[in-house]
Amino acid sequence: MTFLKVLTHLIAFVGKELVEVRRRPGALLSLIFGPFVIMLVFGLGYSGVRPALTAAIVIPPQWDLQVDVTKASELAPAGISVVGVVSTVEEGRALLQSKAADMLVVAPPNPVQAFKSGQPSIITLEYDTVDPVKSSYAALAGDQIAAVVNREVIRQAVEQGQHVAGATSDLSSIPADVVAAPTRAQTQNLAPTQPRTINYFGPAVAALILQHMALTLVALALVRERTSGQIERYRISPVSAFEVILGKLLAYGLIVAVLAAGTLALLVNGLGVPMLASLASVAGVLALLILASTSIGLLIGALSGSESQAVQLSLLALLASVFFGGLIVPIEQLSQPVATLALLIPVTHAVHLLQELMLTGAPQALGSVFALAAIAVSGFAGAWFLMRRSLAPA
Amino acid sequence: MDAPLPYPVAIDVQHVSRRFGNFTAVDDISFQLPFSGTILGIIGPSGSGKTTTVRMLTGALRPSDGRIMVLGEDPSRFRRSTRERIGYLPQAFSLYPELTVRENVDFVASLFGMLWRRRRRRVDEVLELVDLAQVRNRRAGRLSGGMQRRLELACALVNDPSLLVLDEPTAGIDPLLRVRIWDELRRLRDDGRTLLVTTQVVAEAERCDAVMLVADGRVIALAPPNDLRRTASGGDVIEIELAGPIDPRVLFNTPGVLHVNQASPLSLRVTVDDAGTASPAVVDAIGSVGGDVRSVRETRPSFDEVFAVLVTHHVDSARAGDTLAVRDPGAAA
Repeated sequence: MTFLKVLTHLIAFVGKELVEVRRRPGALLSLIFGPFVIMLVFGLGYSGVRPALTAAIVIPPQWDLQVDVTKASELAPAGISVVGVVSTVEEGRALLQSKAADMLVVAPPNPVQAFKSGQPSIITLEYDTVDPVKSSYAALAGDQIAAVVNREVIRQAVEQGQHVAGATSDLSSIPADVVAAPTRAQTQNLAPTQPRTINYFGPAVAALILQHMALTLVALALVRERTSGQIERYRISPVSAFEVILGKLLAYGLIVAVLAAGTLALLVNGLGVPMLASLASVAGVLALLILASTSIGLLIGALSGSESQAVQLSLLALLASVFFGGLIVPIEQLSQPVATLALLIPVTHAVHLLQELMLTGAPQALGSVFALAAIAVSGFAGAWFLMRRSLAPA
Repeated sequence: MDAPLPYPVAIDVQHVSRRFGNFTAVDDISFQLPFSGTILGIIGPSGSGKTTTVRMLTGALRPSDGRIMVLGEDPSRFRRSTRERIGYLPQAFSLYPELTVRENVDFVASLFGMLWRRRRRRVDEVLELVDLAQVRNRRAGRLSGGMQRRLELACALVNDPSLLVLDEPTAGIDPLLRVRIWDELRRLRDDGRTLLVTTQVVAEAERCDAVMLVADGRVIALAPPNDLRRTASGGDVIEIELAGPIDPRVLFNTPGVLHVNQASPLSLRVTVDDAGTASPAVVDAIGSVGGDVRSVRETRPSFDEVFAVLVTHHVDSARAGDTLAVRDPGAAA
């Protein structure tokens, strides 16, 4: 009989929450379409290709290398687009200041002669940016330009040397290109799917959205019970804190699970993200993510005194997930204490697992499965404890 | 040790106080309520400790001092089965505005563990009872204030409780509906249930079997309504209209007369210990000095007047260290 009553309580809680969510069209709209629209816009709008740095090149009149403007453009390393070739530094800086070029490459006056006389030449690189990523990229581009020019200097010097030496030299049969660049890298990615921005970040963004929805919805639902006076009714009714908390968990777990199914379908069928693992294993990870996120949401709801406080805490959780969850900055780049904190966030583990399962088919990080389960159990236990205190006589 | 009461006790409150920091919301109150067929009204102004008392009785608050037993148990440790016997109507509307009338009552019924078949029947019954059957599919948030109060009442009744605790059930309700709600409460009383009702509307004391007047967290008086009237006025009050003036002092030695007040030359207000026996003696005494009585009628002071007198007396008594007598509400049941 007691079991039947507990079951009746749980069904009542789940049913009530489902009806309430269904009756709020605005919330329903943002619940169902919001995440899909975000993902769709992300998938359509994010190319993952960094726009090329624009470069103006200063080639002094006394330049002794046989490079014209066309050649300079051809020689420019990947990621750099030559927008102009000028003969003075002042002209080049004018282009830099007018933002027509991101960087200015000033060629040394006589690099071949300097090479032959055993002197290094300096290629000067100037750029004007406060963006640290652009700054690093420009420095890297400088190294690439130097390597290209070095290769060209050596190639031309070897050609001239071979011409002078004629056929008597053993080196005369080796092409100048090979002498200038004897090795060339050839890469091969052994991953079962080829890297693609949407493939890699799609599951991560989906996990983040699902976590945020589960966490915020259940936290707000629990706070509303308190602010509307329902907690007082529960305190007097023959229901336990466990039933209240479990009822919320099941109700919002169910709602977010439906949304997760739609999100997964969109990822795979709409955005073409590979699905190399079984549907059951991906669904299992999503279920764990939802349980862990809902549990954290219950904890936030039990801790919050008002809806605005619950929203603030949910946003803090979202920010923490974005910065520490491995979406923007790899966790390996975080210091140990911060990296440990990141392990308390469900999305940290879910992103890892979903990317491995969907893109490689075989999860390497089974520890993340246990971590998600541990977060779910801890969050639920914490919320249960706080709800018991709320329902106890004051 | 107190002698056992001649009836089963639903509520037993002994020297209970409740403090919030330095503020004493309830100060050393004691009362008992018999198990069946009684309406106890707790009447007092806003902030007098009514809701705090109710919350302690339902187990939402623990008393700072004293002992409370409700249905034979300490409310802070109610068993599930005991909670199922209590109906509660909170002061503020706390139901779900997005759910319909029926869904709200059904949800509360589920909290009491009622299974589907019984629930369906009972929900329909209580909606008929509070006259909300016609709007059963309307969302609670779209009901008028009076309808919302009736919906709360339906939720309080849905588990068929033997003890009903109603915190201001008629607050914000129009007079006509107030009468209907009180009729319903009295019907529940006649059905053998125990009701504890708080109200700020002093006139509603008339409808209770026993009234507990509270102010500043203390019990000013606890007795059946008519006894409270007598306490306030010092006895029964009869108003006499005369054809011509007389000397009122002729009544001072009349048996049963406690106090004489000459309101005007042709009207007297006489306080007697029992209007039924004292009225003929008063008329005879007036006739004996040649007076001519035009009319004699017993007056009943309104409860507003009773309340005002008792509160004033309470303030004066508190200064003098005196207290009003508290009578057993069970005697009225």
